Amino acid sequence: MAETTIELRNPSGLHARPAATFVKAATGFKADIRVTNLTRNADKSAAAKSMLGVLGLGVSHGHTIRITAEGEDADEAVNALREMVEAGLGEAIGG
Amino acid sequence: MTAPVRGVAAAPGVAHARIWRLPERSGDASSGSGIGLEEAAERAASELESLRERLRSRGREEESEIFGAQALMAQDPELLDAAQRAVDEGTPVEQAVHLAGEAAAIALASLDDELLAARAADVRDVAARIIRILRGEQPPRLEERSIAVALDLPPSVTAELDPALLAGVALEAGSRTAHAAILSRALGIPAVVGAQGLLAAAKDAREIAVDGTTGELFLDPDDETLAEIERRSAEASALAAADVALRDRPLQTADGHRVMLAANIGEPEDSKRAIEGGAEGVGLFRTEFMFMGRATAPDEATQTRAYARVLEAFGERPVVIRLIDLGGDKDLPYLPLPHEENPFLGVRALRLADAGHEELLLTQLRAILAAGEHTGRQPWIMAPMVADLADVYRLHELVALAAFGRTVGVQPKVGIMVEIPSVAMVAELVAPEVAFFSIGTNDLTQYLLAADRTNPGLAQRQDPLHPAVLRAIARVIEGGHAAGIPVAVCGEMAGDPAGAMALTGLGIDELSMDAGGFGAVKRALGGAGLADLRAGAEHALHAESARDVRAIFESMRAPEREAVG
Repeated sequence: MAETTIELRNPSGLHARPAATFVKAATGFKADIRVTNLTRNADKSAAAKSMLGVLGLGVSHGHTIRITAEGEDADEAVNALREMVEAGLGEAIGG
Repeated sequence: MTAPVRGVAAAPGVAHARIWRLPERSGDASSGSGIGLEEAAERAASELESLRERLRSRGREEESEIFGAQALMAQDPELLDAAQRAVDEGTPVEQAVHLAGEAAAIALASLDDELLAARAADVRDVAARIIRILRGEQPPRLEERSIAVALDLPPSVTAELDPALLAGVALEAGSRTAHAAILSRALGIPAVVGAQGLLAAAKDAREIAVDGTTGELFLDPDDETLAEIERRSAEASALAAADVALRDRPLQTADGHRVMLAANIGEPEDSKRAIEGGAEGVGLFRTEFMFMGRATAPDEATQTRAYARVLEAFGERPVVIRLIDLGGDKDLPYLPLPHEENPFLGVRALRLADAGHEELLLTQLRAILAAGEHTGRQPWIMAPMVADLADVYRLHELVALAAFGRTVGVQPKVGIMVEIPSVAMVAELVAPEVAFFSIGTNDLTQYLLAADRTNPGLAQRQDPLHPAVLRAIARVIEGGHAAGIPVAVCGEMAGDPAGAMALTGLGIDELSMDAGGFGAVKRALGGAGLADLRAGAEHALHAESARDVRAIFESMRAPEREAVG
């Protein structure tokens, strides 16, 4: 199983546009990928391929999320998603 | 001749085209499409994707992203699994989708995050779309040049229709001031509203001819009727040509008394037509259209761009931007308002500020101020639903809050829309506290005469030429002038030739109307002298009925040809 923890720095949190970017990217992998919002509720995780699940985590600016993946391309998936979150998921984020 | 169905003439002009019907929400599951949940969801996603592409190609990037998110929701495994489980347990598929969508929406709404609450409305919208597809119903979209035939056309639907393909509007319900009627006048297409029996008569018809000048509708017109329609259409074009000839002439009486001529516009795109028509400014920029048909409120930057475009287009000429007039009658995902028995007497417009939605108004005010800064033009801000002096103070407070921390180079002019009878009663007290009055005669009339303007059965009772309405207007003009501020009328009355004559007789400073009405009003005023109009108005204040008032001014009107010549 691959795993990473990262802080979200998008000013409006994981709202529609960045969430869509994230979900679309996750859908491209075979692995079973899950996301947890450690800041809000560490006990609740959602499927990364579910728009509603990801939105439902209520990830705001400054929240820390954990991405886990299981399956053949698990490492690749976690790395790719981590990079995308770091880069702002298509949004400009402050340094 | 084909026998006409009669309604209220709501936007002038003549058109003949195929009928387009608003897909009905029947609630009847028997008319199913025969396709399964998975395929319906796929189709919903593809509809949403193409909607997204369409908006994106028009440069409406921000709105397009909402549909991108919705497309993902339509394919969401969690949503579809939940619905499928319910189906497997014996729930009818439409109900299963509805319940799954509802559960997801509630989960998002409960997160207590403003942006996510808006997404909750998106999920419901997606579920409704999938259900519509399961039922085999079509999206509200025009495929070819058509005339919309419906009970009513809600603003959210008109926002989806391609204006280039909409040739006319025929409604069983609604009145001259219904949204679809106002939109039709702005687009320059004919509309007939309040046509009782229309839907039953149109049940099996394929085509319709609309005469928005007489209020007649012809279903599947025969050759003779088509020839007549053709003749009327030619006549309408001739009148339009006469309007062009009048374009560069100011709005004035036969003896040269000037009245400022301004345009009512619904979106920045209307500016060009208004300027070409000879508008000396914008007397009413309705901003609601920007707020309709979307999942979230437009942000400050989006609004700023729209306001700046209009301020720029009009240059030195004044532009009056009306703060949003939204209330319980509009179903907006980002503005969850409780259902009200009387939304026009309820929490709407300025009243939203004290009902937990202050930020919505502040964002709009900040955008208006920013547009003023970007363009170097002075914006005129107008608040609707002002009842008394306390509301005026609240308005000034909101403007001050919006300006806080901002270097406002160009101070805005802050005025009010006079539509609530109470503020007309105390006009002289309020006038010194504002920069201008603009009388919204549509609502003033419905409030003063207690006649719901959305009820076609009361159309006869909604004539702003009623002596009681004229007295209220006279009072407002007097109060405004005593304080030295200009008084305008921006309701439908200003664009009605008899109404414009009465208002000029009462001493109005400015008439603001849809640009389509400029010619007719110029002809009407140009055919009468100021002294006669004043005497007529004095008479009108003591007349028995709106009909009598109309008779006074109609008798003064010179035949159209002379005035044109």
